[in-house]
Amino acid sequence: MLDAFVRRLARMTTRVACAAVLAGASLACASRSVARIDPGTVTDLSGRWNDTDSRLVANKLIEESLTNPWAKRYAELHGGEAPVIIIGEFSNRTMEHIPVGTFVRDLERAYIGSGVVRVVASSTEREDVRAERQDQQQYARADSRARIGQEQGAKYMLQGELQAIEDGSGREKVVFYQVDATLVDLESNTKVWFGQHKIKKYIERKPFGW
Amino acid sequence: MINRRMVLGLMVLAACSPKRIQQQPIMQMGDVVAGSDSRVAVAAAESDAERRALAMRRDSIANAALAGCTPSICDAVGRGEVALGMNESQVLAATRTTDGAWTARRSTGSAVLVPRSPDELPRDMIGNVAMVQLRNGQVASYTYRDARGLRVVDSPADATADARTAAMADALIREADEMVANGDMVGALDRYDRASTLKPRDAMLEYRIASILDRSLRPVEALMRYQRFLHQMELEKIEARGDAYAKLADAIARARERVIILEKR
Repeated sequence: MLDAFVRRLARMTTRVACAAVLAGASLACASRSVARIDPGTVTDLSGRWNDTDSRLVANKLIEESLTNPWAKRYAELHGGEAPVIIIGEFSNRTMEHIPVGTFVRDLERAYIGSGVVRVVASSTEREDVRAERQDQQQYARADSRARIGQEQGAKYMLQGELQAIEDGSGREKVVFYQVDATLVDLESNTKVWFGQHKIKKYIERKPFGW
Repeated sequence: MINRRMVLGLMVLAACSPKRIQQQPIMQMGDVVAGSDSRVAVAAAESDAERRALAMRRDSIANAALAGCTPSICDAVGRGEVALGMNESQVLAATRTTDGAWTARRSTGSAVLVPRSPDELPRDMIGNVAMVQLRNGQVASYTYRDARGLRVVDSPADATADARTAAMADALIREADEMVANGDMVGALDRYDRASTLKPRDAMLEYRIASILDRSLRPVEALMRYQRFLHQMELEKIEARGDAYAKLADAIARARERVIILEKR
Protein backbone atom coordinates (compact mmCIF):
# COMPACT_ATOMS: atom_id res chain seq x y z
CA MET A 1 0.00 0.00 0.00
CA LEU A 2 2.73 2.38 1.07
CA ASP A 3 4.84 1.22 -1.84
CA ALA A 4 2.09 2.08 -4.33
CA PHE A 5 1.62 5.55 -2.76
CA VAL A 6 5.37 6.28 -3.01
CA ARG A 7 5.34 5.24 -6.67
CA ARG A 8 2.34 7.51 -7.42
CA LEU A 9 4.04 10.42 -5.63
CA ALA A 10 7.21 9.89 -7.62
CA ARG A 11 5.22 9.83 -10.90
CA MET A 12 3.43 13.03 -9.96
CA THR A 13 6.67 14.75 -9.05
CA THR A 14 8.17 13.74 -12.39
CA ARG A 15 5.10 15.13 -14.26
CA VAL A 16 5.22 18.42 -12.39
CA ALA A 17 8.93 18.72 -13.10
CA CYS A 18 8.39 17.98 -16.81
CA ALA A 19 5.56 20.52 -16.96
CA ALA A 20 7.80 23.14 -15.32
CA VAL A 21 10.61 22.44 -17.79
CA LEU A 22 8.20 22.68 -20.78
CA ALA A 23 6.68 25.92 -19.49
CA GLY A 24 10.15 27.36 -18.97
CA ALA A 25 11.22 26.33 -22.45
CA SER A 26 8.13 27.85 -24.07
CA LEU A 27 8.63 31.10 -22.16
CA ALA A 28 12.24 31.17 -23.28
CA CYS A 29 11.12 30.82 -26.92
CA ALA A 30 8.59 33.68 -26.65
CA SER A 31 11.08 36.17 -25.18
CA ARG A 32 11.99 39.35 -27.18
CA SER A 33 14.73 39.19 -29.78
CA VAL A 34 16.45 42.37 -31.01
CA ALA A 35 19.03 42.59 -33.76
CA ARG A 36 20.69 45.60 -35.37
CA ILE A 37 20.34 45.46 -39.14
CA ASP A 38 21.45 47.61 -42.07
CA PRO A 39 19.21 50.72 -42.23
CA GLY A 40 18.98 50.19 -45.98
CA THR A 41 17.33 46.78 -45.60
CA VAL A 42 13.79 46.46 -46.85
CA THR A 43 11.54 45.46 -43.93
CA ASP A 44 7.85 45.40 -44.76
CA LEU A 45 5.82 44.26 -41.78
CA SER A 46 2.45 45.95 -41.90
CA GLY A 47 2.38 47.33 -45.44
CA ARG A 48 2.06 50.90 -44.20
CA TRP A 49 4.51 53.71 -45.08
CA ASN A 50 7.92 52.86 -43.66
CA ASP A 51 11.60 53.76 -43.75
CA THR A 52 12.13 52.03 -47.11
CA ASP A 53 9.49 54.23 -48.74
CA SER A 54 11.07 57.29 -47.21
CA ARG A 55 14.50 56.26 -48.52
CA LEU A 56 13.15 55.51 -52.01
CA VAL A 57 11.48 58.92 -52.18
CA ALA A 58 14.61 60.68 -50.94
CA ASN A 59 16.83 58.86 -53.46
CA LYS A 60 14.54 59.66 -56.37
CA LEU A 61 14.12 63.33 -55.47
CA ILE A 62 17.86 63.75 -54.87
CA GLU A 63 18.67 62.12 -58.20
CA GLU A 64 16.08 64.20 -60.05
CA SER A 65 17.04 67.50 -58.49
CA LEU A 66 20.80 67.05 -58.85
CA THR A 67 20.64 65.94 -62.48
CA ASN A 68 18.17 68.64 -63.51
CA PRO A 69 19.99 71.60 -65.08
CA TRP A 70 18.13 74.35 -63.20
CA ALA A 71 20.90 74.91 -60.60
CA LYS A 72 23.62 74.82 -63.26
CA ARG A 73 21.67 77.31 -65.35
CA TYR A 74 21.27 79.59 -62.35
CA ALA A 75 25.01 79.43 -61.60
CA GLU A 76 25.83 80.28 -65.23
CA LEU A 77 23.53 83.28 -65.17
CA HIS A 78 24.85 84.51 -61.82
CA GLY A 79 28.59 84.23 -62.30
CA GLY A 80 28.97 80.87 -60.55
CA GLU A 81 26.82 81.60 -57.49
CA ALA A 82 24.82 78.65 -56.22
CA PRO A 83 21.10 79.33 -55.81
CA VAL A 84 19.79 79.73 -52.28
CA ILE A 85 16.76 77.70 -51.29
CA ILE A 86 14.55 77.45 -48.23
CA ILE A 87 12.69 74.31 -47.25
CA GLY A 88 9.01 75.07 -47.12
CA GLU A 89 6.12 72.87 -46.12
CA PHE A 90 5.68 69.26 -47.17
CA SER A 91 2.09 68.42 -46.43
CA ASN A 92 0.89 64.92 -45.75
CA ARG A 93 -2.49 64.55 -47.45
CA THR A 94 -2.92 60.87 -46.62
CA MET A 95 -4.93 59.29 -43.82
CA GLU A 96 -1.78 57.73 -42.38
CA HIS A 97 0.59 59.34 -39.95
CA ILE A 98 3.67 59.82 -42.13
CA PRO A 99 6.72 61.67 -40.84
CA VAL A 100 7.63 63.54 -44.04
CA GLY A 101 10.62 65.08 -42.28
CA THR A 102 12.73 61.96 -42.88
CA PHE A 103 13.00 62.27 -46.64
CA VAL A 104 12.93 66.07 -46.56
CA ARG A 105 15.98 65.98 -44.29
CA ASP A 106 17.69 63.51 -46.62
CA LEU A 107 17.05 65.91 -49.48
CA GLU A 108 18.35 68.86 -47.48
CA ARG A 109 21.47 66.92 -46.51
CA ALA A 110 22.15 66.04 -50.14
CA TYR A 111 21.72 69.65 -51.23
CA ILE A 112 24.16 70.92 -48.64
CA GLY A 113 26.62 68.08 -49.26
CA SER A 114 26.64 68.53 -53.01
CA GLY A 115 27.13 72.30 -52.89
CA VAL A 116 24.82 72.59 -55.89
CA VAL A 117 22.55 74.82 -53.85
CA ARG A 118 22.81 76.70 -50.58
CA VAL A 119 20.14 76.06 -47.98
CA VAL A 120 18.97 78.60 -45.42
CA ALA A 121 17.18 77.81 -42.16
CA SER A 122 13.46 77.33 -42.50
CA SER A 123 10.89 79.56 -40.83
CA THR A 124 10.65 77.35 -37.76
CA GLU A 125 14.41 76.82 -37.41
CA ARG A 126 15.32 80.48 -37.70
CA GLU A 127 13.18 81.56 -34.75
CA ASP A 128 15.68 79.95 -32.36
CA VAL A 129 18.60 81.40 -34.29
CA ARG A 130 17.12 84.87 -34.19
CA ALA A 131 16.42 84.62 -30.49
CA GLU A 132 20.04 83.61 -29.87
CA ARG A 133 21.31 86.47 -32.06
CA GLN A 134 19.11 88.90 -30.21
CA ASP A 135 20.42 87.55 -26.93
CA GLN A 136 24.01 88.04 -28.09
CA GLN A 137 23.39 91.75 -28.70
CA GLN A 138 23.01 92.23 -24.97
CA TYR A 139 25.23 89.60 -23.41
CA ALA A 140 28.02 88.69 -25.85
CA ARG A 141 31.33 90.50 -26.19
CA ALA A 142 31.17 93.14 -28.94
CA ASP A 143 33.76 91.47 -31.18
CA SER A 144 32.00 88.11 -31.00
CA ARG A 145 28.41 89.24 -31.63
CA ALA A 146 26.55 87.91 -34.65
CA ARG A 147 25.41 90.96 -36.57
CA ILE A 148 21.76 91.69 -37.21
CA GLY A 149 20.44 92.13 -40.75
CA GLN A 150 22.97 89.86 -42.39
CA GLU A 151 20.67 86.94 -43.21
CA GLN A 152 20.85 85.41 -46.65
CA GLY A 153 17.58 85.66 -48.54
CA ALA A 154 16.38 82.59 -50.37
CA LYS A 155 15.70 82.66 -54.09
CA TYR A 156 13.62 79.48 -54.22
CA MET A 157 11.33 77.59 -51.87
CA LEU A 158 11.05 73.81 -51.86
CA GLN A 159 7.49 72.66 -51.26
CA GLY A 160 5.74 69.38 -51.64
CA GLU A 161 2.96 67.06 -50.74
CA LEU A 162 2.33 63.40 -50.22
CA GLN A 163 -0.91 61.77 -51.35
CA ALA A 164 -2.20 58.22 -51.16
CA ILE A 165 -4.87 56.14 -52.84
CA GLU A 166 -6.03 52.91 -51.22
CA ASP A 167 -7.99 50.08 -52.74
CA GLY A 168 -8.80 46.77 -51.09
CA SER A 169 -11.05 43.79 -51.06
CA GLY A 170 -11.05 40.83 -48.68
CA ARG A 171 -7.53 39.90 -47.79
CA GLU A 172 -5.97 42.03 -50.55
CA LYS A 173 -5.11 45.69 -50.47
CA VAL A 174 -3.26 48.07 -52.78
CA VAL A 175 -1.79 51.35 -51.54
CA PHE A 176 -0.45 53.95 -53.94
CA TYR A 177 1.68 56.83 -52.69
CA GLN A 178 2.65 59.86 -54.75
CA VAL A 179 5.18 62.41 -53.57
CA ASP A 180 5.45 65.70 -55.46
CA ALA A 181 8.12 68.29 -54.78
CA THR A 182 8.48 71.68 -56.45
CA LEU A 183 10.97 74.51 -56.34
CA VAL A 184 9.23 77.84 -56.67
CA ASP A 185 10.93 81.15 -57.48
CA LEU A 186 10.07 83.40 -54.53
CA GLU A 187 10.02 86.52 -56.70
CA SER A 188 8.11 85.39 -59.74
CA ASN A 189 6.29 82.25 -58.47
CA THR A 190 7.77 80.34 -61.41
CA LYS A 191 8.24 76.62 -60.79
CA VAL A 192 11.79 75.83 -61.83
CA TRP A 193 11.85 72.17 -60.89
CA PHE A 194 9.28 69.46 -60.29
CA GLY A 195 10.21 66.14 -58.71
CA GLN A 196 7.90 63.18 -58.37
CA HIS A 197 8.02 59.66 -57.02
CA LYS A 198 5.32 57.00 -56.99
CA ILE A 199 5.16 53.85 -54.89
CA LYS A 200 2.60 51.10 -55.33
CA LYS A 201 2.27 48.37 -52.72
CA TYR A 202 0.29 45.17 -52.96
CA ILE A 203 -0.55 43.80 -49.52
CA GLU A 204 -1.98 40.30 -49.13
CA ARG A 205 -3.03 38.93 -45.76
CA LYS A 206 -2.48 35.16 -45.48
CA PRO A 207 -5.55 33.11 -44.38
CA PHE A 208 -3.57 31.41 -41.64
CA GLY A 209 -0.64 32.47 -39.52
CA TRP A 210 0.15 35.53 -37.50
CA MET B 1 -24.75 16.02 -66.84
CA ILE B 2 -23.77 16.79 -63.25
CA ASN B 3 -20.13 17.10 -64.31
CA ARG B 4 -21.06 19.60 -67.05
CA ARG B 5 -23.02 21.70 -64.55
CA MET B 6 -20.12 21.63 -62.13
CA VAL B 7 -17.68 22.76 -64.82
CA LEU B 8 -20.09 25.52 -65.88
CA GLY B 9 -20.49 26.62 -62.26
CA LEU B 10 -16.73 26.71 -61.77
CA MET B 11 -16.32 28.76 -64.97
CA VAL B 12 -18.92 31.28 -63.79
CA LEU B 13 -17.18 31.48 -60.40
CA ALA B 14 -13.82 32.00 -62.08
CA ALA B 15 -15.26 34.75 -64.28
CA CYS B 16 -16.73 36.59 -61.27
CA SER B 17 -13.56 36.56 -59.22
CA PRO B 18 -11.15 39.48 -59.85
CA LYS B 19 -8.28 38.84 -62.21
CA ARG B 20 -5.02 38.43 -60.37
CA ILE B 21 -2.05 40.34 -61.67
CA GLN B 22 0.92 38.06 -61.84
CA GLN B 23 3.84 40.43 -61.46
CA GLN B 24 7.13 39.91 -59.77
CA PRO B 25 7.69 42.42 -56.96
CA ILE B 26 10.38 44.98 -57.75
CA MET B 27 11.59 44.88 -54.17
CA GLN B 28 11.37 42.20 -51.51
CA MET B 29 11.98 41.78 -47.80
CA GLY B 30 15.69 41.68 -47.15
CA ASP B 31 16.72 43.65 -50.26
CA VAL B 32 18.96 46.64 -49.61
CA VAL B 33 18.16 50.13 -50.85
CA ALA B 34 21.44 51.92 -51.44
CA GLY B 35 21.82 55.47 -50.15
CA SER B 36 22.45 58.47 -52.36
CA ASP B 37 25.83 59.45 -50.91
CA SER B 38 27.79 58.43 -54.01
CA ARG B 39 25.45 60.43 -56.27
CA VAL B 40 25.82 63.44 -53.98
CA ALA B 41 29.62 63.12 -54.06
CA VAL B 42 29.63 63.09 -57.88
CA ALA B 43 27.35 66.14 -57.98
CA ALA B 44 29.58 67.92 -55.45
CA ALA B 45 32.70 67.32 -57.54
CA GLU B 46 30.97 68.48 -60.74
CA SER B 47 29.44 71.61 -59.22
CA ASP B 48 32.71 72.52 -57.52
CA ALA B 49 34.60 72.35 -60.83
CA GLU B 50 31.93 74.41 -62.60
CA ARG B 51 31.85 77.00 -59.84
CA ARG B 52 35.63 77.37 -59.88
CA ALA B 53 35.66 77.86 -63.65
CA LEU B 54 32.91 80.49 -63.46
CA ALA B 55 34.57 82.26 -60.53
CA MET B 56 37.84 82.45 -62.49
CA ARG B 57 36.00 83.86 -65.49
CA ARG B 58 34.27 86.41 -63.27
CA ASP B 59 37.56 87.44 -61.67
CA SER B 60 39.23 87.96 -65.02
CA ILE B 61 36.25 90.08 -66.16
CA ALA B 62 36.50 92.17 -62.97
CA ASN B 63 40.22 92.57 -63.56
CA ALA B 64 39.64 93.81 -67.10
CA ALA B 65 36.82 96.07 -65.90
CA LEU B 66 38.85 97.80 -63.23
CA ALA B 67 41.96 98.26 -65.34
CA GLY B 68 42.04 101.89 -66.43
CA CYS B 69 38.49 102.88 -65.45
CA THR B 70 37.61 106.44 -64.50
CA PRO B 71 37.05 107.03 -60.75
CA SER B 72 33.26 107.34 -61.09
CA ILE B 73 33.01 104.17 -63.19
CA CYS B 74 35.32 102.31 -60.77
CA ASP B 75 33.07 103.43 -57.90
CA ALA B 76 29.98 102.22 -59.75
CA VAL B 77 31.61 98.84 -60.45
CA GLY B 78 32.57 98.59 -56.78
CA ARG B 79 29.04 99.45 -55.67
CA GLY B 80 27.65 96.98 -58.18
CA GLU B 81 25.67 99.52 -60.21
CA VAL B 82 25.44 99.82 -63.97
CA ALA B 83 26.32 103.35 -65.11
CA LEU B 84 26.35 105.30 -68.34
CA GLY B 85 29.76 105.28 -70.01
CA MET B 86 30.73 101.77 -68.85
CA ASN B 87 32.16 99.30 -71.31
CA GLU B 88 30.90 95.73 -71.73
CA SER B 89 33.20 94.08 -69.20
CA GLN B 90 32.36 96.78 -66.66
CA VAL B 91 28.66 96.00 -67.12
CA LEU B 92 29.40 92.31 -66.46
CA ALA B 93 31.51 93.20 -63.41
CA ALA B 94 28.83 95.54 -62.04
CA THR B 95 26.15 92.88 -62.37
CA ARG B 96 28.51 90.16 -61.07
CA THR B 97 27.82 88.04 -64.13
CA THR B 98 29.81 86.46 -66.92
CA ASP B 99 29.12 86.59 -70.64
CA GLY B 100 27.08 83.39 -70.21
CA ALA B 101 24.28 85.45 -68.68
CA TRP B 102 23.84 87.71 -71.71
CA THR B 103 23.07 87.54 -75.37
CA ALA B 104 24.88 90.21 -77.35
CA ARG B 105 23.51 91.55 -80.62
CA ARG B 106 26.10 93.65 -82.40
CA SER B 107 26.08 95.92 -85.40
CA THR B 108 28.58 98.53 -86.50
CA GLY B 109 29.36 100.82 -83.59
CA SER B 110 26.59 99.58 -81.34
CA ALA B 111 25.64 96.52 -79.33
CA VAL B 112 22.66 95.43 -77.28
CA LEU B 113 23.04 93.14 -74.28
CA VAL B 114 19.90 91.18 -73.44
CA PRO B 115 19.64 88.64 -70.59
CA ARG B 116 19.93 85.09 -71.85
CA SER B 117 16.97 83.96 -69.75
CA PRO B 118 13.88 86.18 -69.45
CA ASP B 119 13.10 84.58 -66.05
CA GLU B 120 16.55 85.12 -64.55
CA LEU B 121 17.50 88.71 -65.17
CA PRO B 122 20.95 89.83 -64.08
CA ARG B 123 20.69 92.42 -61.34
CA ASP B 124 22.74 95.27 -60.02
CA MET B 125 22.24 97.02 -56.68
CA ILE B 126 19.28 99.00 -58.05
CA GLY B 127 17.23 96.32 -59.73
CA ASN B 128 16.85 93.72 -62.48
CA VAL B 129 18.59 94.81 -65.68
CA ALA B 130 16.47 94.00 -68.72
CA MET B 131 18.66 95.50 -71.45
CA VAL B 132 21.89 97.44 -71.94
CA GLN B 133 22.63 99.44 -75.10
CA LEU B 134 26.20 100.30 -75.98
CA ARG B 135 27.31 102.84 -78.52
CA ASN B 136 30.96 102.90 -79.57
CA GLY B 137 31.73 100.42 -76.79
CA GLN B 138 30.16 102.51 -74.02
CA VAL B 139 26.80 102.22 -72.28
CA ALA B 140 24.41 104.71 -73.88
CA SER B 141 21.30 103.54 -72.04
CA TYR B 142 20.10 100.69 -69.86
CA THR B 143 16.70 99.45 -68.80
CA TYR B 144 15.47 98.11 -65.48
CA ARG B 145 12.52 95.84 -65.07
CA ASP B 146 10.63 97.14 -62.03
CA ALA B 147 7.43 95.91 -60.46
CA ARG B 148 5.57 98.57 -62.47
CA GLY B 149 7.24 97.96 -65.83
CA LEU B 150 10.40 98.99 -67.60
CA ARG B 151 12.45 102.07 -66.67
CA VAL B 152 15.01 103.43 -69.08
CA VAL B 153 18.10 105.28 -67.89
CA ASP B 154 19.69 107.27 -70.70
CA SER B 155 20.88 110.40 -68.93
CA PRO B 156 22.77 110.95 -65.66
CA ALA B 157 19.63 112.56 -64.17
CA ASP B 158 17.67 109.30 -64.72
CA ALA B 159 20.19 107.39 -62.67
CA THR B 160 19.62 109.30 -59.43
CA ALA B 161 17.50 108.04 -56.55
CA ASP B 162 15.08 110.97 -57.03
CA ALA B 163 14.56 110.06 -60.67
CA ARG B 164 13.92 106.46 -59.71
CA THR B 165 11.36 107.53 -57.11
CA ALA B 166 9.67 109.86 -59.60
CA ALA B 167 9.55 107.06 -62.19
CA MET B 168 7.97 104.72 -59.65
CA ALA B 169 5.39 107.35 -58.71
CA ASP B 170 4.58 108.00 -62.37
CA ALA B 171 4.14 104.28 -62.96
CA LEU B 172 1.77 104.05 -59.98
CA ILE B 173 -0.24 107.02 -61.27
CA ARG B 174 -0.48 105.44 -64.73
CA GLU B 175 -1.69 102.20 -63.16
CA ALA B 176 -4.22 104.06 -61.01
CA ASP B 177 -5.54 106.01 -64.02
CA GLU B 178 -6.12 102.74 -65.80
CA MET B 179 -7.95 101.36 -62.75
CA VAL B 180 -10.19 104.43 -62.64
CA ALA B 181 -11.02 103.85 -66.29
CA ASN B 182 -11.89 100.24 -65.48
CA GLY B 183 -14.04 101.28 -62.52
CA ASP B 184 -11.79 99.88 -59.78
CA MET B 185 -11.93 102.84 -57.39
CA VAL B 186 -10.50 100.99 -54.38
CA GLY B 187 -7.45 99.83 -56.31
CA ALA B 188 -6.97 103.25 -57.88
CA LEU B 189 -7.16 104.95 -54.49
CA ASP B 190 -4.54 102.56 -53.13
CA ARG B 191 -2.14 103.30 -56.04
CA TYR B 192 -2.70 107.08 -55.83
CA ASP B 193 -2.11 106.92 -52.09
CA ARG B 194 1.18 105.07 -52.61
CA ALA B 195 2.20 107.51 -55.33
CA SER B 196 1.45 110.45 -53.02
CA THR B 197 3.96 109.06 -50.51
CA LEU B 198 6.61 109.11 -53.24
CA LYS B 199 5.48 112.51 -54.59
CA PRO B 200 4.30 114.38 -51.50
CA ARG B 201 4.03 117.81 -53.14
CA ASP B 202 2.03 116.90 -56.20
CA ALA B 203 -1.16 118.98 -56.12
CA MET B 204 -2.84 117.16 -59.02
CA LEU B 205 -2.36 113.87 -57.20
CA GLU B 206 -4.21 115.30 -54.20
CA TYR B 207 -7.00 116.39 -56.53
CA ARG B 208 -7.25 112.91 -58.04
CA ILE B 209 -7.44 111.32 -54.58
CA ALA B 210 -10.05 113.86 -53.48
CA SER B 211 -12.25 113.24 -56.51
CA ILE B 212 -12.09 109.45 -56.04
CA LEU B 213 -13.01 109.82 -52.37
CA ASP B 214 -15.83 112.13 -53.39
CA ARG B 215 -17.17 109.58 -55.87
CA SER B 216 -16.79 106.80 -53.33
CA LEU B 217 -19.12 108.73 -50.97
CA ARG B 218 -16.43 109.50 -48.40
CA PRO B 219 -17.11 113.24 -48.05
CA VAL B 220 -15.10 113.97 -44.91
CA GLU B 221 -11.89 112.55 -46.35
CA ALA B 222 -12.66 114.10 -49.74
CA LEU B 223 -13.05 117.50 -48.11
CA MET B 224 -9.68 117.17 -46.39
CA ARG B 225 -8.02 116.20 -49.67
CA TYR B 226 -9.67 119.07 -51.58
CA GLN B 227 -8.42 121.44 -48.91
CA ARG B 228 -4.93 119.98 -49.16
CA PHE B 229 -5.08 120.39 -52.94
CA LEU B 230 -6.05 124.06 -52.60
CA HIS B 231 -3.37 124.59 -49.98
CA GLN B 232 -0.83 122.92 -52.27
CA MET B 233 -1.94 125.18 -55.13
CA GLU B 234 -1.50 128.20 -52.90
CA LEU B 235 2.00 127.04 -52.04
CA GLU B 236 2.75 126.47 -55.69
CA LYS B 237 1.41 129.92 -56.49
CA ILE B 238 3.63 131.45 -53.80
CA GLU B 239 6.57 129.44 -55.05
CA ALA B 240 5.87 130.48 -58.65
CA ARG B 241 5.55 134.06 -57.57
CA GLY B 242 8.81 133.75 -55.63
CA ASP B 243 10.49 132.26 -58.67
CA ALA B 244 9.11 135.01 -60.86
CA TYR B 245 10.27 137.67 -58.42
CA ALA B 246 13.67 136.00 -58.19
CA LYS B 247 13.93 135.98 -61.97
CA LEU B 248 12.67 139.55 -62.03
CA ALA B 249 15.21 140.61 -59.42
CA ASP B 250 17.90 138.92 -61.43
CA ALA B 251 16.77 140.70 -64.55
CA ILE B 252 16.58 144.05 -62.67
CA ALA B 253 20.11 143.55 -61.34
CA ARG B 254 21.42 142.70 -64.80
CA ALA B 255 19.62 145.66 -66.35
CA ARG B 256 21.07 148.02 -63.75
CA GLU B 257 24.49 146.59 -64.38
CA ARG B 258 24.09 147.09 -68.11
CA VAL B 259 22.85 150.65 -67.54
CA ILE B 260 25.94 151.46 -65.50
CA ILE B 261 28.21 149.92 -68.14
CA LEU B 262 26.48 151.67 -70.98
CA GLU B 263 26.42 154.99 -69.15
CA LYS B 264 30.13 154.75 -68.54
CA ARG B 265 30.71 154.23 -72.23
